[in-house]
Amino acid sequence: MSPPPSTTAAPVLTVSDLRAYYRTSAFGAEREVKAVDGVSFHVGANEIYGLAGESSCGKTTLIKTIAAATQPPLQVVSGTITFQFRDRRMSITDVDLEGLAAIRWKHLSYIMQGSMNVLNPVRRISHSFVDFAFRHVAKPMPEFLDSVRAHLQRLQLESEILDAYPHQLSGGMRQRVAIALATVCRPEFIIADEPTTALDVIVQKDVLGMIKEVQRALRSSLILVTHDLAVHAHVCDRLGIMYAGRLVEEGRTAEIFGQPRHPYTRHLISSLPRIGHVGSGKGLEGTPPNLAAPPAGCRFHPRCSLAMDICRRQNPPLSELSVGHRVACFAVTPESPT
Amino acid sequence: MLRILRDLFRHNREFAVGVVLLTAVLVVAAMSFVSPYPPNDSFVVPPDLPPSWPHILGTTSRGQDVFWQLTCAIRNTLLFGFTVAILSRIFALAIGLVSGYAGGLIDRALMSINDTFIVIPLFPVLVLFYFVLRDSMSWVLLALVMACLGWAYDARLIRSVAMSLRTREFTETSIFSGMSTRQILLQEHLPYVLPIVFSTTMNNINWSIGLEVTLSVLGFTDINTPTIGVMIYWANQHTAMVAGIWWWIAFPVALVVITFIGLFLLAVSMNEYIDPRSRLSRVAA
Amino acid sequence: MTEPPLLEVSQVARTYSMGGLLSRHRVHAVDGISFELPADRPEILTVIGESGSGKTTLARMILKLVPPTRGTIRLRGTDLSSIRSGRDRLAFMRLVQPIFQNPFQAFNPLKRVDRYLFATARRIAGIRTAQEIEAASDQALSKVGLSLTEVRGRFPHELSGGQLQRVAIARALISSPALIVADEPVSMVDASLRMSIVGLLRNLCDGMGVSILYITHDLATAYSISDRIMIMRRGRVVEAGEARAVLDNPQHPYSILLKAAVLSPEPA
Repeated sequence: MSPPPSTTAAPVLTVSDLRAYYRTSAFGAEREVKAVDGVSFHVGANEIYGLAGESSCGKTTLIKTIAAATQPPLQVVSGTITFQFRDRRMSITDVDLEGLAAIRWKHLSYIMQGSMNVLNPVRRISHSFVDFAFRHVAKPMPEFLDSVRAHLQRLQLESEILDAYPHQLSGGMRQRVAIALATVCRPEFIIADEPTTALDVIVQKDVLGMIKEVQRALRSSLILVTHDLAVHAHVCDRLGIMYAGRLVEEGRTAEIFGQPRHPYTRHLISSLPRIGHVGSGKGLEGTPPNLAAPPAGCRFHPRCSLAMDICRRQNPPLSELSVGHRVACFAVTPESPT
Repeated sequence: MLRILRDLFRHNREFAVGVVLLTAVLVVAAMSFVSPYPPNDSFVVPPDLPPSWPHILGTTSRGQDVFWQLTCAIRNTLLFGFTVAILSRIFALAIGLVSGYAGGLIDRALMSINDTFIVIPLFPVLVLFYFVLRDSMSWVLLALVMACLGWAYDARLIRSVAMSLRTREFTETSIFSGMSTRQILLQEHLPYVLPIVFSTTMNNINWSIGLEVTLSVLGFTDINTPTIGVMIYWANQHTAMVAGIWWWIAFPVALVVITFIGLFLLAVSMNEYIDPRSRLSRVAA
Repeated sequence: MTEPPLLEVSQVARTYSMGGLLSRHRVHAVDGISFELPADRPEILTVIGESGSGKTTLARMILKLVPPTRGTIRLRGTDLSSIRSGRDRLAFMRLVQPIFQNPFQAFNPLKRVDRYLFATARRIAGIRTAQEIEAASDQALSKVGLSLTEVRGRFPHELSGGQLQRVAIARALISSPALIVADEPVSMVDASLRMSIVGLLRNLCDGMGVSILYITHDLATAYSISDRIMIMRRGRVVEAGEARAVLDNPQHPYSILLKAAVLSPEPA
C-alpha cells in the first residue's frame, strides 16, 4: 500500500453537513426522500477514499451531489461542498453553469455507473475523446490526439482502439476506455461509481489495477463507490460506510477491516464470502429503512442487537474514536446525552 | 379510479381542458334525445334564418333548425367513430398480440395479411362499396367495413411491443408459474400494450370521423341520417356559402373541430398517466 | 433396474449462425458438454464461467427455453425434446424450476408478486382450494425467511433486491421440484446479502432434497456451498470435479487465473 497521505495538507474536498433530498410532487401527492441526511467528511490529496454501503443507502446520491450532477427532483437542501483545486477554490453548492464547465473534466471528473454504455455507439472511440475532452484542452487537434495516444499508452491500452467502434470492444475494454476518457485531462479529483460491478472477475482485477495506476500517475484524489467491500479492501486508503443516508463509520481501510466498531460495519465484514471459508453468514434481520419515513434517532436501531433507549431518541454523532477513525454509535462511543 | 381522475383534472391542464370540451360535445349530443323536431323531417321551420332566438344557430335552406340538427348529427358521428375505433382495436389487439408472442410461421402468415390490408387504398374501396351497395348502404355496414380496414397499422405497433415483451424475463417466470398463453397475453402483456392502444384509439376515432365526413360531403353514404358530414353535404347541395348561409357549414365544422381537440387533449394527458414507464418512475420515486 | 439419473446432459452443443448470406459466422455458445446429476443423492453442482462462457445458454437449454443444436438432455430418463403437449410441459415444470439473475426483471413491475406464487401453486403444484394455495405459498415463503403477510399485495419495487430474490426462490419451491436451475442468483444482490442467500440454497439442498444447478462467476460463494464444480470457458468444460478439491488446488491454467483474480476481503 502507498504510504499514508500527508494529513497536514489541505483536503481537496470538504463536505460539511450535507443534506440532499428527493422532493417529488405529482398529481397532488408530495414526498420527500431524505437520501443524504447530514454527511460530513473530507478527502485529501493523492488519496483513494471509498464509500461502501448497501443499495439505496445514499452513496450514489451523495456523489451525484458532489459532482454537481443533481437534477430535479434531487435538491441540495443544506450543507456545503467545497473543492480546493490547485488554482482555485470552489463551492459546488453555489456555483453556476459557467463555473462548473470550467472545472468539469479538467479538475473534476465523474465516471458514472454503467460507464461502458456512455460511449456513443455510432462514433469511433477517437471521436468520443474529441467530443468529450477536446474543448477543455487549449491545444490544436493534432496535439490533442497525440496527448490522447500518450495517455492510452501510459494506461497500457493499445492506440488501435481509437479507431474502433464501441460495439467491437468487450465490456471490460469499454470500461477501461471510459476511465481513460475521464482522466485524459489529468483531473485532480475523480469520482468513480461502481466501476467494476458488471464485469467478470478477471477483467475486474485489471480494471481496478488500472484505476490504481491512474491515480498514482496523476496523484489525484479519487472517491470510489461500490457495495463490494472486497473491492474497497483492494484499492482504498480510507473507507467510509454509509447507512440510510448517513455515515456510520470512517477510517483507514486496514483499521476498518481489522477492527470494525459499528455493529453494521461488523455485520458487513463478517458476511463477506471468502474462498477457503465454508459456512453461510447469518443475514441481518429486517430491511433498510424507507428514507421517506426514516426511524427516529439512530437509523440502524431497528436492526441493531446493541440498541439502547437513547438510540431510539437521538441520532449518534460521528465522533472520533482514535486518530482518523470515526464511529457514530452510542454503544461504542459512550457519550453523555445532551 | 375516481380519485385518479379527480387528481388528473386538478393538476393536468390538458386533461381538464379536454374533459371540459368533450363534456360540452357529449351534452350537445345528448340533447338530441329531446329534440323537438324529428331529425329527418324537412321544412318544419322557416328556412334560411340567421342565428337568433329561438333558432340560436339559425336554420337551413331545407327548413331545419341548425342547432337541433347538429345535436343529432354529432351524436351519430360520435357513435360511428367509437364503433369503428372499438371494433378495429379488438382486431388490432388480437392479431398484434398473437403474432408478436407466437412468432415463427403464425407471425409470418398474420403479418402478410396485415401488410395486405395496410396497402389497400381506403378511399377508393369505400367509394366502390357505395357504388355496389347504393341504397342498401347503411351506417352499420360502413362502420364494419371501416373497422375491417383500420386495424392493420396499429396491429404492427402492438406486435412490436409484444415481441419485446416475449423476451423479457418476467414472461419466462410466468411460463414457469404455469400460466397459459392466453393468460400471459391478457394479464401480463396487455398493460404494456394499453398506452399504444389508447393513443391509437383517439387517433382512430379522429380518422374514422374524418373519413366519414369526407365520404358524406361527397354524397357517398346514406344521406338521410344526419351526421356532420351529411349536414355539410346538404349545405353544399344548396350552395350555402354562395347564398350567404354560413351558419349551416360553420357550426358543424366548429363542433367537429372541438371534438377532435378534446379527444386529442384527453389522449395526450391520459397517455402520460397510463404509460408504465412514467407510472413506474412516479411510483418508485 | 437402476433409476435413471435426475439430469443427464450428453454431448450437448448450441451453435448460433450470424451474418448474412455471403459471410456466415458461427458462434459455438456451448460446444460438447456432458455431465450428470444423480437421482438418489441431491447435490449442488456449480457451473463457473465468465461472460461468453456459455453457462447461461446451458442453463436455458436445461430449462427447455432454447433447443440444443446437438446432443440430448434427459430428465429422469425423458428426453427433453420429446416434451410437447401442455400436460407434459406442466409435468416438466413441476420437476425443474428456474431462478433468474435480476429479480426486478424476473417479476412484472406492474403486477403484484403474490400472483406468481398463487399461480405456481394452482397450476404447477395442482393445489385446488384458495386456502390450500395460501398455505402452500406461506410455507414456501417461510422456508426462505419471509411470510405471506409481508409479501401479500406488494409490487416488486416495494421490496428490496434481496427480498425479491427470496420470493423468486420461494416461488420455485412451491411445487417441490427435484431440480432448481439458478442462473447467477446473487450477482445483482448486495455483497453483504449474498452469503445468506446462497446459504439458503445449501439448506434447501440438505433439508428439502432439491438438487441445484448453481451458475455463477463468483468463486467465493461457489466454494462455500458446492458439492461439485464445473469450470467453463468458451463453451467447453476446462476443469470439473469435487468443489473444494478443484478450488483449493486448480490444475488448468484458466482455473488458476480465475482463482488468482478473486479479490479477497483482506486489506492489501
